[in-house]
Amino acid sequence: MNEIQSIKPLLAILVSSVACILILFSNKSKNLRETWTFLAAILKFGIVLSLYPAITSGKIIVFRFFDVLPGVTTSLRIDPLGFYFALLSSFLWIITSVYSVGYMRTLEEKHQTRYFASFALSLSATMGIAFSGDLLTFFIFYEMLTIATYPLVVHKETPEAIQAGRKYLVYSLSAGAVLLGAIAWSYYETRTLTFTPGGFLGSIESTKTIMILFVLFIYGCAVKGALFPLHAWLPSAMVAPTPVSALLHAVAVVKAGVFGVLRVIGYVAGPAALERAGHYHWLTCVASFTILGASVMALAQDNLKRRLAYSTISQLAYIILGASLLNVNAYLGSMLHMANHAFMKITLFFCAGAIYAKAHKEKIQDMKGLGYQMPLTFIAFTLATLSLSGFPPFSGFISKWYLCKGALEGGHWGVLAVYLSSALLNAAYLLPVVFVAFTKTGESSVTRDEKPYALTAPLYITAVFVILMGCLPWLISRQVNLAGMASVSIFGG
Amino acid sequence: MERHLPVFIFIAPFLSAFIVPFLRKSRSATQLLTATALAFSSFCSLKALCVVSHSGPIEYALGGWAPPYGIEWRLDCLNALMCFLISTIALVVILATGPSVKKEIPRSYTTYYVLVLLHLTGLLGMALTHDLFNLFVFLEVASLTGYALIASGDSRRGNVASFKYLLIGTIGASFYLLGIGYLYAATGTLNMGDMGIRIHAVIQSRSVFLGVVFVLLGLLIKMGLFPFHGWLPDAYTYASNSATALIAPLMTKVSIYVFIRIFGGIFDRTVLSHFHILPVLLAFSAIAIIGGSVMAFLQSDLKRMLAYSSISHIGLIMLALSLNDPAAWMGAILHILNHAVMKAVLFLAVAGAAHTHGVTHLQDLRTIRGRMPFTLTAVCIASLSMIGIPPLAGFFSKWYILTGAFQSGKPLFVIIVLLSGLLTALYFFKMLEQIFFQKDSGERKLAEAPLALVAWPFTLSIGLLLLGFYAPAIYAWGMQHIVPVVFV
Repeated sequence: MNEIQSIKPLLAILVSSVACILILFSNKSKNLRETWTFLAAILKFGIVLSLYPAITSGKIIVFRFFDVLPGVTTSLRIDPLGFYFALLSSFLWIITSVYSVGYMRTLEEKHQTRYFASFALSLSATMGIAFSGDLLTFFIFYEMLTIATYPLVVHKETPEAIQAGRKYLVYSLSAGAVLLGAIAWSYYETRTLTFTPGGFLGSIESTKTIMILFVLFIYGCAVKGALFPLHAWLPSAMVAPTPVSALLHAVAVVKAGVFGVLRVIGYVAGPAALERAGHYHWLTCVASFTILGASVMALAQDNLKRRLAYSTISQLAYIILGASLLNVNAYLGSMLHMANHAFMKITLFFCAGAIYAKAHKEKIQDMKGLGYQMPLTFIAFTLATLSLSGFPPFSGFISKWYLCKGALEGGHWGVLAVYLSSALLNAAYLLPVVFVAFTKTGESSVTRDEKPYALTAPLYITAVFVILMGCLPWLISRQVNLAGMASVSIFGG
Repeated sequence: MERHLPVFIFIAPFLSAFIVPFLRKSRSATQLLTATALAFSSFCSLKALCVVSHSGPIEYALGGWAPPYGIEWRLDCLNALMCFLISTIALVVILATGPSVKKEIPRSYTTYYVLVLLHLTGLLGMALTHDLFNLFVFLEVASLTGYALIASGDSRRGNVASFKYLLIGTIGASFYLLGIGYLYAATGTLNMGDMGIRIHAVIQSRSVFLGVVFVLLGLLIKMGLFPFHGWLPDAYTYASNSATALIAPLMTKVSIYVFIRIFGGIFDRTVLSHFHILPVLLAFSAIAIIGGSVMAFLQSDLKRMLAYSSISHIGLIMLALSLNDPAAWMGAILHILNHAVMKAVLFLAVAGAAHTHGVTHLQDLRTIRGRMPFTLTAVCIASLSMIGIPPLAGFFSKWYILTGAFQSGKPLFVIIVLLSGLLTALYFFKMLEQIFFQKDSGERKLAEAPLALVAWPFTLSIGLLLLGFYAPAIYAWGMQHIVPVVFV
C-alpha cells in the first residue's frame, strides 16, 4: 500500500466552506455572491480532478488531523471509491450552480444568500464524506451534511416546508444517533475505526455482535439513502427548490447515504465477516422490496417531483441491492450506477424545475402540450427516461449490465427478476410524462420558448453526458477501471 | 512565586470586593476593577495550569499551619482547570453584561458587583481548598451571595425564587455539614488527603455511611440533579439576566467539581460502589436527562427552557461520572467545560436580545430575525454544540462519554446518552426554527445589542469551535494528568 501525504483533500473540502462565508458577507451584490459559488465549484472540481493520476496508479492520498482516542486518528483518505464519489458530486455542483442561478432568478426566490451559502456548505460536507478515512470523520461530515441541508429543505418557509424540515431532522438525527452508537460500539470491540478494504469487523469473535452492528450501521446510513421503511422524509423534502432536489436529493445527500452503505459493506463490515455471520440476506430482500414498492408508488403520484422522488428511492435501492450481493461485479455495478443514476436523475429534476419555473406546472396532468413549447427540455427528459429504464446505448444500460451480471454470478435469479421487472416499471411511470407533454391541446399557436439558457443549458449538458457515459468507450472504460479498483481491493482478484 | 499561586488566584477578587464600595461614584470603574481582578485570577490559573501539569501539585499550608491540622489548599490539574474556567467565564460575563446591569440594576450596582466578587471568591475557594470544612465555608459564601444575586433583579418573582432557593439551598448546606460531622467523628480529620487514607480502616462503620449519604445529598441539591432540582428553573428564570448569565454556567458546575473531588479523589470511588450508591445516581441522572429535556421542550419562556436544559445536561454529566469508567469521567469533565461555555453564550445572547428588543419568549424570537446576525450566529453555534453536532465541542464530550459507557458494559446507558443528544435537538431546533424560519414582522433593519453584549458571546462561540478542535488534545492531556489523580 503506498500512501501519499497531501493537503489537497482538506483544500477540496475547505474551498466551499470558505465560499460559504464569502457568500454570507456579500449578500449586497448578487453577482459577486454568485461569482464565489462558481469560483469554488470550479476550483473544487479542479482539485479533485488533479488527484486522478495518483489514484489510478494505485496510490492512496492521506491527510491526518489528530488522535481522538488511542488507535483512532481522524483523517482524510482518498481511495478509488471516495474519489469516484467526490469527482461525481464536484462536477455536478458546477452544472447545478448554473442551473441554481437561472432557477432562483427566474422565480425571484427570497433568501438567496442563505440558499447559496447552505449549498456551498453542503458540498463541503459531501466532499468530507467522500474523503473521510475513518468512521468518526465520516460521522462528523455526515452530521454536518444534515445540518447544512436543513435550511435548504425549509427554504420556502411555508408550514408545509417547515413540517418537511422537521421530518427530515427527526429521521436524519435519529439515524445519526444510531450510527454514532454503532461507531462507539465498533471501537469498543475492535479498537480501530479506519476504513480497510475488506473490512475490520472480522476481528470480532461473536457473529451475533457483527450482525447487530451491521444492522445498526445500515440503519444509520440507509435513512439518508432512503431505504424502505426509512424513506418517508424524501418525498416530503421535495418542497425544497428544484436545484436542491436535483443535486442534494438525487446526488449529494442520498448518495452520501448509499455511499455510506457501500463503505460499511466493503470497508467496515467486509464481505468475509458478513459471510461468516450469515443472515445478511435481509438487506437484499429489503432493497428488492424497496425497488418494486417505490416504483409502484411512483405510478400513483401526480406531482412530477414526487414521482421523481419515488423513482430515486427505487434507484437508490438498486445500488444497495447490488452491494448486498457481495461480489465483484455487483459492487462494481453499484458504483457505476451511483454515477449514472446521478446524471439521469439530475437531468430529470432539471427538467421538472425548468417546467415549473417557465410554466408554473407541477402536476403531470397539467403538462399537456408543454412538449411543443419546450421541445429540447422534453427530449432531454425522454433520453434520461430511456436510460433509467436500461435501454442501450444509454448509461443506465452499462450499470444495469454489471448489476445483472453480478446477480447471475451469485446465482440470485430472484434479484435478476427484480432488476428486469423494475426496468419495465421505470418506463411505465416516466414515459407517460413524455406522452402527456406531447399531446396536442388544440390551441393553435404554441411558441417555442426555452430561455433563459442558464435554466436549460445545464440539462442539455447532463443529457449529453447520459448518452456519452453509455456509448463513449473512453469514458466507460475509465469509469469501470476506477470502480473495478475499488471492488477488487475489497473482494480480491 | 509559583508556590503562592493558589492564593494569588483567590486574592484578587477577594480584595476587590472590599475596594468596590469606595468606587461608589463610577459605574465603569467598578466594572473595570471587577474585570481586572478576574483577569488576574484567570491569568494566575492559566499559569498554575502550566506549572501543575509540568511539575505536579502545589500544596499550600494556610498560615503556615502544617496539614492535616491546619487548612491546606492544593492545586492540581483538575482544580487549576476549574479555577481557569470559573475566572475566565466570569470575566467574559462581567465584560459582556455591563449594559445589561445598567438597565436591570440601575441603582444598587455597587452591591451587585460586591456580591459578584464574593460569589466568585466562594466558588474559587471551593475549587482551591483541600479541607472539607473550609469547603463548607466557601460553599456558604457562594450560596449566600448567590441567593442575593438571584434576588437582585427588578422582578418580585425573583425574590420568591431566591427565597425558595435559600430554603432548599440551606437544607443542602446543612446536609453537607452534617455529613462532614459524621465523617469527622469516624476519621478524626478534615483534610481531604488525610481522610482518604484513614477512611478505609473505618469503612464498615455506620457513621461513615451516614456521612457519605449526607454529603452526597447536600451536593446533589447544590448541583440541581433530579429530584433535587426544584429550585433551579425559578432561580434561573426570574433572576436578572446579568445574574443568570453569571450563575448558570458556574454554580452547578462547581458543585459537580466538589462531587468529583470528594467521591473521586478522597474516596477513590470505592466508597460509592461499596455503599451501592452508583445505581441510584445512574437512575437519577437518566431521569434528569429525559425529564429535563421533555420539560425544556414544553417551555415557552427562553430562560426557563435553558434552565431545564441545564438540568438535563447536569444529568448527563452525573451519568457519565456514575458510569465509573475513566473515559466517561474525562468526558464528563470535558462536558463541564463545554457546557459552561455553551450556557454562557446562550444566556448572554438571551440577555442581549432582552436588552435590545425585550425578547423573553420563544415566539418573540421571530421579531429579531435577521436583525441581530452576530448574536444569532452565536446562538446557532452554541445550540448545535449543545445537541452534539460535530465538529463542535459538545460532540466530543458526548463521544467520550459514549465510549466510556460501552467500556463500563451498561448498554442501557449508551442508549440514554444517545437519546440525550436527540432530546436536546428537539428543543433547540424548536428554538432555531423560531429564529430562522418563521414568518416575521418583515422588519429588517439591523439592530444589534450593545457592542459588549454582542462581541463577547460571539467570541465565546468562536471559542466553542476551537474547543471542539482541541477537545481531543484536552482529553489526552486529562487522561494523563487528571484522571490518574481522581481515578486510582
